[in-house]
Parts: sequence; C-alpha cells; structure tokens
Amino acid sequence: TFLGFVSPINNEGKALMAIKASFSNVANMLLDWDNVHNNDFCSWRGVICDNVSFSVVSLNLSNLNLGGEISPALGDLRNLQSIDLQGNKLGGQIPDEIGNCASLAYVDLSTNFLFGDIPFSISKLKQLEFLNLKSNQLTGPIPATLTQIPNLKTLDLARNQLTGEIPRLLYWNEVLQYLGLRGNMLTGTLSPDMCQLTDLWYFDVRGNNLTGNIPESIGNCTSFEILDVSYNQITGVIPYNIGFLQVATLSLQGNRLTGRIPEVIGLMQALAVLDLSDNELIGPIPPILGNLSFTGKLYLHGNKLTGPIPPNLGNMSRLSYLQLNDNELVGTIPPELGKLEQLFELNLANNHLVGPIPSNISSCAALNQFNVHGNFLNGSIPLGFRNLGSLTYLDLSGNNFSGSIPSTLGDLEHLLTLNLSRNQLNGPLPAEFGNLRSIQIIDVSFNFLAGVIPSELGLLQTINSLILNNNKIHGKIPDQLTNCFSLVNLNVSFNNLSGIIPTMKNFSHFTPASFFGNPFLCGNWVGSICGPSK
Amino acid sequence: RLMSNRRFGGPGSSPPTCRSKCGKCQPCKPVHVPIQPGLSIPLEYYPEAWRCKCGNKLFMP
Repeated sequence: TFLGFVSPINNEGKALMAIKASFSNVANMLLDWDNVHNNDFCSWRGVICDNVSFSVVSLNLSNLNLGGEISPALGDLRNLQSIDLQGNKLGGQIPDEIGNCASLAYVDLSTNFLFGDIPFSISKLKQLEFLNLKSNQLTGPIPATLTQIPNLKTLDLARNQLTGEIPRLLYWNEVLQYLGLRGNMLTGTLSPDMCQLTDLWYFDVRGNNLTGNIPESIGNCTSFEILDVSYNQITGVIPYNIGFLQVATLSLQGNRLTGRIPEVIGLMQALAVLDLSDNELIGPIPPILGNLSFTGKLYLHGNKLTGPIPPNLGNMSRLSYLQLNDNELVGTIPPELGKLEQLFELNLANNHLVGPIPSNISSCAALNQFNVHGNFLNGSIPLGFRNLGSLTYLDLSGNNFSGSIPSTLGDLEHLLTLNLSRNQLNGPLPAEFGNLRSIQIIDVSFNFLAGVIPSELGLLQTINSLILNNNKIHGKIPDQLTNCFSLVNLNVSFNNLSGIIPTMKNFSHFTPASFFGNPFLCGNWVGSICGPSK
Repeated sequence: RLMSNRRFGGPGSSPPTCRSKCGKCQPCKPVHVPIQPGLSIPLEYYPEAWRCKCGNKLFMP
C-alpha cells in the first residue's frame, strides 16, 4: 500500500520537526526549523545534507542551551553521519533508536543532563569512530557490546555515574586511541589485558573506585602517552616494569601505593608530569630522578618519604612544579635547587628539614609560590627574596627563623599571602609592607616582633587579614588602618599596644577578641582600662 | 613508537626528536601540551603529552 507514503526528504523533514518538538528553549535557537514557511530543511540551522541525495548527514546543535529530550525520531535520519548536541541542557535518556542511524561515525552528546543506561543499540553503529558521552548523568555499566564497534577510536564516558567493571573485552581493541573513563564509580581491578590496546595513547580512569594492584605487565602498554589511574584505591607496589612505559604523564596519585619509588623511573626521560603524591610510599627520593631533565611537574607530596632532598633534583632544568611537602624528609634544603630557573612552585612544607634557606633560592627567578611551613629551618630570612619579584605566596611559618624581617620583602608587589607566623623573628614590622599593593593576608603572629604598627599599613587597599597577635608590638593602633576597607580579619591581641582603638569605618565590626591581651589598650569591653565597669 | 628508546632493550624513554614532524615549518621542537579535548583552557589539572611545535602550530610527534 502507498497509503501514507511520503518522499524520503519529507520523512526526514518530519523527523527533524519531531526532534524540534521534543526540545525545549527552541523559540529563538531553532527559529528557521519551520516546515510551514521553509520546507528546505537542508537550509535549517545546524542541518547539513548530502549534495546529491538531500538526505541529512550532519546535525550540529551544540551549545544552543536546548532543553527537553532527544526524540526517538532521530532514528529516522538513516544517513546521519555526525551528530553534535554537546553543551546543551538535554535530559531524558539516549533513545535506543540512535542504533538505526547506521552511518553514524561521530556522536557527541557530552555536557548535558542525559540519564539512564548507555543503550546497547549504540553497538550496532559499525561506522562509529567517535563517541563522547562525557559529563552527563548516565548510570549502569559500560556495555561490553561496545567492543563490537570495529572502528571506534575515541570513547569518552568521563564524568557520569557508571558502575560495574571496565569490560575486559574493551581492551582487545587495536584501533581504540582514546579511553576516557574519569569521574565515574567503576570498580574492579586494572587488567593486564589493558596493554592489548596497541594503538591507545590516552588511558584515563582517574577518580573511580578501582582496587587491586598495578599489573606487573604494565610496561607492555608501550603506545600509551598518558596513563592516569589517580584517585582510585589501588594498592601494592609500583612495579619495576613501569620503566618500560613511554608515557609523558604518569599519574598514580591519590591511591594506596606502598613500597619505594622505583629507581627505574629516573630513566623515563619522556616524562612531562610525574605524580606519585598522596600514596603511602616509603624510603628515599631516588637521586636518579634528577635525570628527568625534561620533566615539568614532579609531585611526591603526601607520602612517607624519608631521607634528604637529593641535590640532583637541581638538574631538572625544565621543572616548574616541585611538591615534596607532607613527607618525613630530613637534612637541609640543597642550594642546587637554585639552578631551577623555571621553577614556579616549590613546596617543602611539613617535613623535618633543618638549616637555613640557601641564598641560591633567590636565583629561581620564576618562583611564584614558596612554602616551607612546618619544618625546623633556622637562620634569617634571606635578603635575596627581594629578587623573587613574581612571588604571590610566601609561607615560612612554623619554623625557627630568627633575626628581623627584611624591609625588602615590601618590594614583592605581587605578593598575595605572606605568612611568617610561629618563628622567632624580632625587630619591627617593616614600614615598607605598606608597598605590598596586592597583599591579602599578612600573618606574623607568634614571634617576638617589637616596635609599633607602621601607619603605612593603611595604604593596603586589598588586605583581608592582618594577623599580628602574640608579639611584643607597642604603641597606638594607627588611625590609618581604618583606610584598609577590605580588612575583615584583624588580630592584634596579646601585644603591648596602648591608646584608644579607632572606632571609625570597618573598625566598628571588629570584636574584642581582636584586641584582647593588651593591658593598656582602651576599648569598649568589660575589663578594658576604659571599658564598661562590671 | 616514536619515543621508544629500546635500542638497548632496557627500560627508559626519551622525548620525541620532532625531526621533520612539522612539514616544511622550521624550527620544529618538542613541547608539553595539556590534553583536555574540547576545551582550550584547562579547567583543572589535566595530563600532558608531547607534541611538536613550530610557530604556533602543533604536530603529532
């Protein structure tokens, strides 16, 4: 029967109208999708047709703020090769009918609110090369049938709520190049079969619930450029065979790895990023890591590493991030670190380091963040810090530094945070701190600072916290401090301040707790020399 | 693969040489690039890979 027969073109036009009907927020975005006023659907926004057959081959409606759902009518676009709906607000499930679009090679439905399972019907798409369902709310398992797609090169299912194991069959794919599974709830272990992915360069299972060990045979994954298994619950030691990898990024952080850092890692010169942080690694930092002269980021923090900081690390000439904090490192800070001209962040906090900060550190001209909090460092604050003009974060707190605060710290005009608290610093608070025009936090509490609060601090228009408590500062609180209109956190308690506390502007918000322990300071609280009497 | 340093059959790797990987463009040098498909500015810590760079063009090693 020919009843109800329509030409294929009209049929696809109807399908497009049905697709539009199940979207919401279409009023402005799909204005020209209107079969009454313009039935040439090949001219509609985001629609591309074949030149000869006038059949829809591509649908690109990305980032149009579309709501609603994806209509099952999508399955009527039988010649569709590419669909891109990423970056909308589409809810509902991925229609099973997508499996009818047998020519689909490119599917991007990422960054929407799609929920439900990944339909098995996707496995019928034998031409599919690119499947991106990242950043949705998909649940259920990764369909093992995805392995039936012979040409799949990119599979990105990151940031959903997928559960179950990574299907082992998925690993027996010689064309897959990109596997992005980060940010799901996948369980099970890393299978040795993963090295059967002989064309894969991107392997990312960061932030799942994977358990078990790193397979002994990991070194066979020689095509991998990126191996990210971070933030899972992987246990056991880092196998020696890891040294056979050719990766640029080795991210093993946030697991429960034990044992030592294998020396063989020092031979992996292709490493751009080595992140072993937040594990349970013990033993020393192998000096051979200093051979990694092309590495830009070395993160070993949050382990139980012992022994000294190897001076060889000064040979890592491309290093921009060095984080060794929160370990049990001993000895002194090697002056060789001063050779790291590209170093951006140096974090040695919470170790057992002793001795002074070597003056060579001031050669690290690119240094932006320097943190040695919570060690046993002593000596004076190096005058050379004035050369570190890019510093935004300087934390020397919780050490045994002594002597006076160099006035040249006031030259660090990009400084946002300056924490010198809990040391044995004496002398005055430099008036030059008034030049710290970007500063947000100054904390010099728990030292032996004397002198007065410099009135120049009133110049600090960005300061949020001024913490001066538990020193021996005397004199008046300068009225100029009331000009610091960003100041919300002031603590001058337990000093030898005297006179009357200013009451203007933001000073009306500070509670007595900001001023306690200054017996000669006059404020409006019970017990103050001029306060209300009991 | 290209980064292979297996001449001696042992472990270890080295960066790509980028020799004749940028077509006719010179100089062609290996660089680290963050890999975050679909976004030009990384929103969080993302892995890095080696690419060959000439001017402001990137090529596969």
